[in-house]
Amino acid sequence: MSKTVRYENVNKIFGLGTKNEVHALKDVTFTINEGELFCLLGPSGCGKTTLLRNTAGLDTITSGKMYYGDVDISTIPPYKRNIGMVFQSYALYPHMSIFENVAYGLRVRKVPNDIVKKKVTEVMELVGLQEELKRNPSPTALSGGQQQRVAIARALVYDPDVLLLDEPLANLDAKLRRYMRAEIRRIQKATNITTIFVTHDQEEAMAVGDRLAVLRKGLVEQIGTSDELYNQPRNAFVANFIGKMNFFNAHVVSKDAEETVAEIDSTGIRVAIKPERQHVDAKVGDQVLIGGRPEYLSVTTQASDKAVPGKVRIIQHLGSFIRYEVEVNGNISPVTFEIDMDSLQKDIHEGDTINVTFDQSRVALFSPEGREI
Amino acid sequence: MSAKYSMIENGAETNKIKKFFQKDFSQLIIFMIPMIFIAIFLLYPMAITLVRAFWAPAEYTFKFTGWSLEGFRTFFGTKLYLKALINSIIVSLSVTIFCILIGVPMGYCVARVKIPGKKLLVSLGILPIIMPSFVGAYTWVILLGNNGIVRVAINWLLKPFGVTIPSIYGMFGMILCMTLTYYPFVFQMAYGAFSGANALLEESASLMGAGRTRIMRTITLPLIIPSLGASALLVFVRAIGNFGIPAVIGGNNYVLPTLIKFAYSGAGDINLASSIAVINVIITGLVLYLQKYIVSRHEYETISATHTEIKQHTSFGARLFAIILCLIVLIFSLLPQVTIIVMSFFKRWTGLLPTGFTWENYANIFKKSSHELFNSFFLSITATLMCAVFGSILAYITERKRPKGAALLDLSIMAPFILPGTVVSIALLSAFGGNGIFKLTGTYAILIISYMIRRTPYVYRSVAANLTQLNPSLEEASTISGATWFYTFRRVSVPLIMPAIISGSVMTLTTLLQELSTTILLYGAKTRTVPIQIFNAVNENNLGRASALSTVLLIVVFAIIYTMNTRKGTDLSSSMKM
Repeated sequence: MSKTVRYENVNKIFGLGTKNEVHALKDVTFTINEGELFCLLGPSGCGKTTLLRNTAGLDTITSGKMYYGDVDISTIPPYKRNIGMVFQSYALYPHMSIFENVAYGLRVRKVPNDIVKKKVTEVMELVGLQEELKRNPSPTALSGGQQQRVAIARALVYDPDVLLLDEPLANLDAKLRRYMRAEIRRIQKATNITTIFVTHDQEEAMAVGDRLAVLRKGLVEQIGTSDELYNQPRNAFVANFIGKMNFFNAHVVSKDAEETVAEIDSTGIRVAIKPERQHVDAKVGDQVLIGGRPEYLSVTTQASDKAVPGKVRIIQHLGSFIRYEVEVNGNISPVTFEIDMDSLQKDIHEGDTINVTFDQSRVALFSPEGREI
Repeated sequence: MSAKYSMIENGAETNKIKKFFQKDFSQLIIFMIPMIFIAIFLLYPMAITLVRAFWAPAEYTFKFTGWSLEGFRTFFGTKLYLKALINSIIVSLSVTIFCILIGVPMGYCVARVKIPGKKLLVSLGILPIIMPSFVGAYTWVILLGNNGIVRVAINWLLKPFGVTIPSIYGMFGMILCMTLTYYPFVFQMAYGAFSGANALLEESASLMGAGRTRIMRTITLPLIIPSLGASALLVFVRAIGNFGIPAVIGGNNYVLPTLIKFAYSGAGDINLASSIAVINVIITGLVLYLQKYIVSRHEYETISATHTEIKQHTSFGARLFAIILCLIVLIFSLLPQVTIIVMSFFKRWTGLLPTGFTWENYANIFKKSSHELFNSFFLSITATLMCAVFGSILAYITERKRPKGAALLDLSIMAPFILPGTVVSIALLSAFGGNGIFKLTGTYAILIISYMIRRTPYVYRSVAANLTQLNPSLEEASTISGATWFYTFRRVSVPLIMPAIISGSVMTLTTLLQELSTTILLYGAKTRTVPIQIFNAVNENNLGRASALSTVLLIVVFAIIYTMNTRKGTDLSSSMKM
């Protein structure tokens, strides 16, 4: 039975009352839908693993409530929560065969032998390990990808209400990781168990998740689908964490109901931005950031009064596109721009001074607060 | 910082969560038993000993004799006592230094020079510690005593140079015997450290242009200082606590353990014995502190994920040197074992060769030692099983639960590891020697308790070392699967730490079978063990019986260790660490 997972003002403070108090989760409140594959995403130390471990009950929250369905599980011990969990290290028992590893949760539940056998066989077919099950080796004899499948099977075999995955792909090589994330999505959709997937890799999260929550320093910054997070990031942090965002320092020069006009510092270039792309409530004279994705910016040798001068540092061929790293005046932006072009610009070389233009209709306005990851 | 968020004031909620964890009774009960045991049989006796040290002299009584500093006054005012203190310090320090001088080069040679039979060398290198050390001492009397064959031979050789080696009785003999008994601790640890070191560190130094001696001085040696310090401390506490060797060949030279025995058994003064015990503890404590101070500045985290094979010296000179060094050390340290086995088949050994071949020594074992054999095995096995249970649980508590005061718990468990056996005995006698309710002298119980107190650290350390390497998520995975704490402990934790439990238990069992320094003060007519009988036989000059009994012990102990070494994943060295 799949269930919703609901957090209400969840706080976690490590070392409460001591000098080393760490507020790891701050008023976390949101709901994960039934059967949803939900990703918790954020840089290391953001609280995503803490939230997962508290969801499992391996840690206890300092305050707030957590619900599976309508049941408050905040104080229920982990072994009574009926959850499945896949650990980053897989945590397979080296002293048991893969059959016994997978059967473990059923043995705990005192399930009769014949049903154990049937269920283990079913779940091993689901994860694609029916051949390995026949030989039934020790998990140490399996490859990383196979161990991962055993760990998933072990977590699924007793039909948990919620499945928790803690950076499950971190120990796999790049190619296998891409394959396994598709597999995880397939298995999750086949079982339709509400699943929480923790990762620090935004590409992985966007590829796997139905919805994502971006966390930073214990706070939920934004929740939404991959598309929403990429195209309508709520703030500069999310914008720069989900994909890359280039920022221009700017200040607001005029504002009305139709649009806000901001001028890029020390250039005189003015950009008009529609309300739906304003992610900050700025008054005239306020310092703001104008953000544009690498694909909205272009490099050109032609002069223009709508262009910012810059110097090409590095040109990278990345297959379907070419990435130009361009350094601009520190007043315009303290960080190097990443600009993606569909094709190689024959007349631009590393070290050249060029102009950066951008699609004025697609840039967005952000607060300069907390841009760094 | 927290005021901004909605919680914290809500104390009731926090309490509710806390209460749920307090409800975990199975854990609580299982954890409490060893704690109570430690409190009653270690902390309480140690406290009583400390109190008794300030009581007036007692004559064969455990009753209160009034407050007094007489014990310490006697100690520091009597030449015999002060001399014993100085002897103890000289012997222990010399033994420690000699063990390092032998053990480190030998460890390096076996680990880093290409020589044949490394595994055999390592196995032979552990043998000296599994033989009762006082038996070793006695065989040196045969070899190096006033008319000992080796001494006579060497002196004959040295005659032209005008030098003679001294008789074995006295300081020289004690230092020699203890060094040859305890160097394996340093050798085993040095071997482990040199062979387990990360080769990349030395290779990178070499790539940066450092020569061999520079690498040795700046990389290799500094990195083994922590394990070297640990093994040196181990040797020191063993040497200062050794009762058997000084008792057999100390001659007129008392050391602290023999002095404690003299004060208690000879003078019948438990309070004076307590004073000496306190002084003994203070010295050991000072050395422990010194060792921690030196080592703490040299502790490093290993920062590497991959290990490569360490390059070995292959030059002819290096190989020849390594082989000769190992052979000389092994021959000298194993000579007692060979002597004892040979001797067990003869009646006398006074001249160059033993005389009067006989099976009688062995036949006598069944006639005269069956009760002692039963006692030894019964006591050792019972104590080992209890050590295994207690040690594992205690290691689990300190490693996994990290309760408040875990450091204190750790200290209480490890304290007997560095306390001389005679001190532990005096502590137990102080507490349970005279009182009506708890009179335990002469019982099996007091021996088992003293064994447990002294040997639990073996299993404890071994399991704790194993647990630190065991990913906690293995246990968490079980909890998530729906298993209660006890189910997880039984089905996941215990099977995974089993190798560590076994190796700790083997160390416990083998050392208990030959335990003398605690037993000597605690045994009664009914609870005499084999080592006690050997010790008495040696004192009565009944060499045949002593040798035969020692040979039996030697074979039993060797069989246990050999069986364990053939098992995979068990490692004796982790139970020896501090």
